[in-house]
Amino acid sequence: MPALKERPKPFVLPEFCKGCGRCISACPKHCISMGTEINPKTGLTPIVLDLTNCNGCGLCIDACPEPYGLQQTPADADYELQDPAKLFGDRMTDAPEPVDIPDQVVPLPKMEPLVLKGNYAAAVGALLAGCRHFFGYPITPSTEGAELMAKLMPHLDGTFLQAVSEVATVNMMYGCGGAGMRSMTFTSSPGFSLMLEGISYMIGAEVPGVFINVMRGGPGLGNIAPEQSDIKLCCRGLGHGNTHAIVLTPSTPQEMLDLTMLAFELTFKYRNPVVIASDGYLGQMTGKVSLPESLVKPGIPKWAVYGDLEHRRNLISSIYLSEVDLEKWNVVLNAKYASMQVEQRADLYMCDDAEVLLVACNTPARTAKGAVQVLRSRGIKAGLFRPVTVWPFPIEKLKTVLPNAKRIVVVEASNGQLEDEVKIALANARIREYPEIEHVRHFGGVLPQMEEVILKVAAGQEVTV
Amino acid sequence: MTTSAFYGKFERHSHGEGLKGHSTHYCPGCGHGLAHKYLGEAIDELGIQDKTVAVSPVGCSVFLYYYFDVGNTQAAHGRAPAVAIGHKLANPESIVISYQGDGDLASIGLAEIVSTAQMGIPITVIFVNNAIYGMTGGQMAPTTLMGQRTATSPDGRVEFMGQPMKMAELIAGLDGPVYVERVALFNPKQRNRAKKAIHKALQNQVEKRGFSFVEVLAECPTHLKATPEQAEKWVEEAMLPMFPLGVKKDETREPWWDRPAPTFETERVLKEIGAGEEKAPRYCTSFPSHVAKNDISLKLAGSGGDGAQTAAMLIVHAGINEGFDATHIPAYGPESRGGTSYADVHVAADEVLSPASPSPDVLIAFNMPSLVKFGPDVRPGGTIIYDSSVITDYTPVKSGVKMVGVPMSEIAKDLGKLMVKNIVALGALQAATGIFPKETFLTAVRRALKDKCAMIPLNEQAFEWGVKAASEVTVP
Ligand code: SF4
Ligand code: SF4
Ligand code: SF4
Repeated sequence: MPALKERPKPFVLPEFCKGCGRCISACPKHCISMGTEINPKTGLTPIVLDLTNCNGCGLCIDACPEPYGLQQTPADADYELQDPAKLFGDRMTDAPEPVDIPDQVVPLPKMEPLVLKGNYAAAVGALLAGCRHFFGYPITPSTEGAELMAKLMPHLDGTFLQAVSEVATVNMMYGCGGAGMRSMTFTSSPGFSLMLEGISYMIGAEVPGVFINVMRGGPGLGNIAPEQSDIKLCCRGLGHGNTHAIVLTPSTPQEMLDLTMLAFELTFKYRNPVVIASDGYLGQMTGKVSLPESLVKPGIPKWAVYGDLEHRRNLISSIYLSEVDLEKWNVVLNAKYASMQVEQRADLYMCDDAEVLLVACNTPARTAKGAVQVLRSRGIKAGLFRPVTVWPFPIEKLKTVLPNAKRIVVVEASNGQLEDEVKIALANARIREYPEIEHVRHFGGVLPQMEEVILKVAAGQEVTV
Repeated sequence: MTTSAFYGKFERHSHGEGLKGHSTHYCPGCGHGLAHKYLGEAIDELGIQDKTVAVSPVGCSVFLYYYFDVGNTQAAHGRAPAVAIGHKLANPESIVISYQGDGDLASIGLAEIVSTAQMGIPITVIFVNNAIYGMTGGQMAPTTLMGQRTATSPDGRVEFMGQPMKMAELIAGLDGPVYVERVALFNPKQRNRAKKAIHKALQNQVEKRGFSFVEVLAECPTHLKATPEQAEKWVEEAMLPMFPLGVKKDETREPWWDRPAPTFETERVLKEIGAGEEKAPRYCTSFPSHVAKNDISLKLAGSGGDGAQTAAMLIVHAGINEGFDATHIPAYGPESRGGTSYADVHVAADEVLSPASPSPDVLIAFNMPSLVKFGPDVRPGGTIIYDSSVITDYTPVKSGVKMVGVPMSEIAKDLGKLMVKNIVALGALQAATGIFPKETFLTAVRRALKDKCAMIPLNEQAFEWGVKAASEVTVP
């Protein structure tokens, strides 16, 4: 045990003393006094040490709020002449460069198709995509997805956590996704509204995560019947700031599974949240679901804040304090959104020679498809253009079928939110020549019916229904 | 020398330019710096730097990540505890710290801190309470003292603005946390206690014992418009009476936090999702287009306990087993809680296009209201199968619709289980429409009951009785 007088005494580099004086009252030996000269580099007045009576008790060091303020005197006698960068280190950290632990794709045997509800199919898709972290808050009509996860996650040693709110949910996803893990939630319109703050942070900080929004009737509490009235939120309103995310619109239980798997791939590929905009009807619908050929065993990406040595250097943050830095960051994000354009997806049904182009997604797309069949049987050249991504809107595919189209009819369960996306996409592509857009719309949980679509299309063609 | 939990150079602080590379952004004498130092020392002492994830809040300590050489995440205002839980569950071995100020934790983030504390998951919360909003410029905090003047309580805090929030006491009142203490920084003795408390709060996490919370009464000389020395005095004299120091909760809890690594093992995953390789046998030779050309639309309707949804699902399974497409969509929500419960089913040769059944080919009605409601929608040439035990005086409103009354409830009661009346209904459906061969239905029933084998014979009987009863009906 070293003798008392051997205990190292304090020192401070004047430019790192803010002159707060907290060390002065801490010293029992009155070794410290306020200086009288302003330090020219800091504009502050540092303290003066007179260590004649100092016993090295260290109480002054404990009282100094600055990490590089009062220190124990180093053994090196010349320390005071040293450049602080050399004295305290000129490197930020000695942590190693982060590494990628890659995902593994494991082939699956050929399985018989399952018979699943849309919400269940999405949950199964998430499990096969390697998601083992589910956070959520129950809201109809999305609850079955959460319930199935609550049942299965513990069996697969995964995590199901019911949060105190949707706000907490999205922030758990922010933490978990920031740690590089695949996380998801099921929610429905009012809950999705609450998550938007967090989604903006995720986009800003490049955190992946999959949101399944089983859209229901609004505004306000609305009802729990199917609507498509969050298309605007998903495509144009993901929280504050310049945000965008890929938005997938399934229309069958099979697609609920397939697109959920795709969503996990894309959310990590782009380090950006992905939204699956489903509707209440599809969430509840049971159908045939074939399983994929492989499942994913996820690794840990190199940017993750996982909580280990390999990833210690990393930071998840959306803060860019200087205007210049934040503008640069927005440029980077905008470039990323632009690069997502290659993910445009659409399903075209009898569009090749279609003179009447129906545009619809989710459940209304099924109705529209039925209408196309009936119309074709009556000699009307109808076709269905079904966006599978509403953002980015599949404008490239639309361009290919536009030349034949004499009419465009958007069929949707909202007040024109899909139609707006069509128009914005056309405008952005500088397409000015296209038929006037007509529509069949319903709200509040009422879905467009096949007969109405047929009537709308056929009436103009003078066909008696 | 310096605590190694701090970066060698604060490169994130204005790109590490000049002196900023080694000094904090905090005002002279700010309590945050001390809380940082004690946290850094505890991280060093416990040897957990590589495992640690620090969650930076919003407020003056928003730039926590400038300083700590650990994994860093910056959270939205008030949400740090939820973010911390996300990290802890992502890597249960990581050591997660949520560092928050009073506006962040005790105002906008109340729901997150209270619910997280109650979960009890081992994370460490450092709560710096200086009774004021620092970063936004000296507004009233939830912990601002009564009478204290701030930018948003210019005449002093009065009652209707609420009393100061005593977070340590509130959190200690919950069952989740294992350790809660309030400490201060205004003299060497208090600083020593603060150091120890922060160390202990982290150690509890390292030892997997539970959620720990340390409230640090800190000085904000800037917004108190005081010297650091005066601020220390103010904390001691003004804050202490409202926020008494000391341990608020310290439970002995055995280490319990232990989470297995997630499994991705193919066999287990497939078993859990209910996937199988076994093909169901097929009995149909072609699509039953005598019922409807290539898409059969059915509706099943009854009251909550009639089993309409189960019967609907069995039809879907039967159709898919035969290689067709099939869908089921229930009426859901409050509608399904008591009152009528109905299901729309489609079976299509290739693909079901419109899953709703507004004008079904077949209606199965378990009670009178269902028959009244949906009977008129059945398309001409269609079939209505109804429970003649409960529907006795129905007069067909529509010509050209086949009416098949089967005493489903009576048959089921005779078999000893009213529940199986929906299976009787399936038998009747088979006999009345010939949609699928009998074996198709029976296979679907048997597969559905594979975990309740004892129930199979009763269900088979119910089905056969349904077939028999429907076959004997003379169609009007
Ligand atoms: S080490 Fe102790 S005695 Fe020496 S200056 Fe610091 S407080 Fe005073
Ligand atoms: S406590 Fe530190 S910063 Fe404050 S006066 Fe003393 S040495 Fe300077
Ligand atoms: S405003 Fe107050 S809390 Fe914020 S850094 Fe300055 S002294 Fe600290």
